Amino acid sequence: MRKRTRGHRLRTALILGAALVFFLFPVAWMFFTSFKTNAEYFSYPPVFIPKSFALTNYLNAMRLPPDGRGGLQGVRDSLIISAGSMAICVLVGAPAAYAFARFRTGGENLSFWVLSTRMFPPVASALPLFLVFRFLHLLDTHLALIIANTIFNLPFVIWLLKGFFEDLPAELEEAAVIDGTTVFGAFRRVALPLVAPGVVVTALFSFIFTWNEFMFALLFTRRDVRTLTIIVPSLVGGHEILWGEIAAVGVVAIIPNVILALMLQRFLVRGLTLGAVKG
Amino acid sequence: MNIGVGPGVLPARRAGGTRRMRLAPIVMIFPAVAVLLAITVFPLLYELRLTVVSWELTTGFPPQFVGPANFVRVFTQDPRFWNAVIKTGFLVVVGVGLQTIIGTGLALELYGLGRVRTTVLSFLLIPVMIAPVIAGFQFRMIYNDQFGPLNYLLDTLTHGTVRGAAWLADPRIALWAVMATDVWQWTPFMTLVVLAGLQAIPGELLEAAEVDGATGPQTFWRVTLPLLLPVIVIGMLVRFMDTFKLFDIVYQLTGGGPGSVTETIAYYTYLQGFKFFSLGYTSAMAFVQLAVITVVAQIFLRYQRRMRAGMIA
Repeated sequence: MRKRTRGHRLRTALILGAALVFFLFPVAWMFFTSFKTNAEYFSYPPVFIPKSFALTNYLNAMRLPPDGRGGLQGVRDSLIISAGSMAICVLVGAPAAYAFARFRTGGENLSFWVLSTRMFPPVASALPLFLVFRFLHLLDTHLALIIANTIFNLPFVIWLLKGFFEDLPAELEEAAVIDGTTVFGAFRRVALPLVAPGVVVTALFSFIFTWNEFMFALLFTRRDVRTLTIIVPSLVGGHEILWGEIAAVGVVAIIPNVILALMLQRFLVRGLTLGAVKG
Repeated sequence: MNIGVGPGVLPARRAGGTRRMRLAPIVMIFPAVAVLLAITVFPLLYELRLTVVSWELTTGFPPQFVGPANFVRVFTQDPRFWNAVIKTGFLVVVGVGLQTIIGTGLALELYGLGRVRTTVLSFLLIPVMIAPVIAGFQFRMIYNDQFGPLNYLLDTLTHGTVRGAAWLADPRIALWAVMATDVWQWTPFMTLVVLAGLQAIPGELLEAAEVDGATGPQTFWRVTLPLLLPVIVIGMLVRFMDTFKLFDIVYQLTGGGPGSVTETIAYYTYLQGFKFFSLGYTSAMAFVQLAVITVVAQIFLRYQRRMRAGMIA
């Protein structure tokens, strides 16, 4: 590697410092806003750091309109839908991923088709799904959103896990099969435990994708189900905008994301490029 | 990665195997394929049928067969659709372009960093992970022309020479403001991808270039960049597919306005389907988008396969 001079290092530090400020400022602004009083929000020059870090806005946010449950309902619904879709996708997706990786079942075309459903524009599936859900009386239920999110999460889970299985040497499973284990046994008792970290990473990714999802939640829910991603914009559209409270909901809504960004870094490139870049 | 039969493929496929062994993988795949057929193919077939009817929920008339009229309308009679195409195209070309250039620059800086690299990268990746709609909310506060920090900072740092703006209400600026939000959120993604590519370049190659007397810029343009190109292409394709679907931050920031200045294809389709209730026309637009995405997805998948097979870089 080229030797780095002191000036060089200073330049790097300046650029990366500026980048950190730029990329973290909006998140920090929302964080600080979540503690501001209304007077602090509506002031010029703007207040950057609020006087008190009392949790008033958070407590109020949990009891937001329309029915006084606001934020709490959002947390509950986002959790139910994200966990539900994650469970289905891993249960159904893991065996399929294994078969694709080890037996190339259905050939390249089948696995390509599976992944291409991941790329569908959600707005294209939204209309027929809406009509189907309306017909089945599933609008405004958790199940509708679990199903809708599975459209994108299942292909993702299959594709990412397929990569993890392919990274595993097949000898152990071959030995198990030769010793008389069934194929499913080789999958469940040999391969699956070995890719357990990969399964966890994949599951967490699928959780976050549903947690972040907005369009389906907007179109398929009304009152009984309200995810966190719905609550924030619906309150911004209101008459009297409660910035502090909305920011508090926003902060709660990004807690899992921030934790995963800091924890999963090693796997992020793989998850975000659908396994194309392994890092 | 091997293509076809070889190591990594279990004996069932290699040499006959028992019948149960040949059946097992099919059984394992069946639930996934059945679920996907039910939730993607079935609704899309239903939607395909809608593309040839005129069905306006607002009028109360029953669906009427109109043949290819909906598609004719998309391509030749709807300037608002083409406005959305241009707006989306701008976000894809300029937005993804900026993400790639800035992202690559940051990756090169990060690469030179020692142990703190991982920590810095983790923090840079927070925007990538959070929900786009929350990112939109953050920028809505930042862009606020009366109380937002952006206009205040501009005013203070330039001692009043640069006037702030109504970022989301000014038709000359609104699309740039939407793009900036997307660039903010996804530039670190490109950094992450390019950094992974940089780490995969063998150090000897760069040393050899140095020994041969190449200058820094020469090494970058002639050695580093060509080796990075495959991951950059993958990153850009992912970003293309996402930006093509851009909806959440438009909804949260501008609602497509002012006028239809920031109306993306996805947003316009949403309006036609769920505000104007033109079901047939919406379906036709949906299929046009599906066709585009399918082509790009195929390019992405084939590129990825060639990359894994070691045919590129």
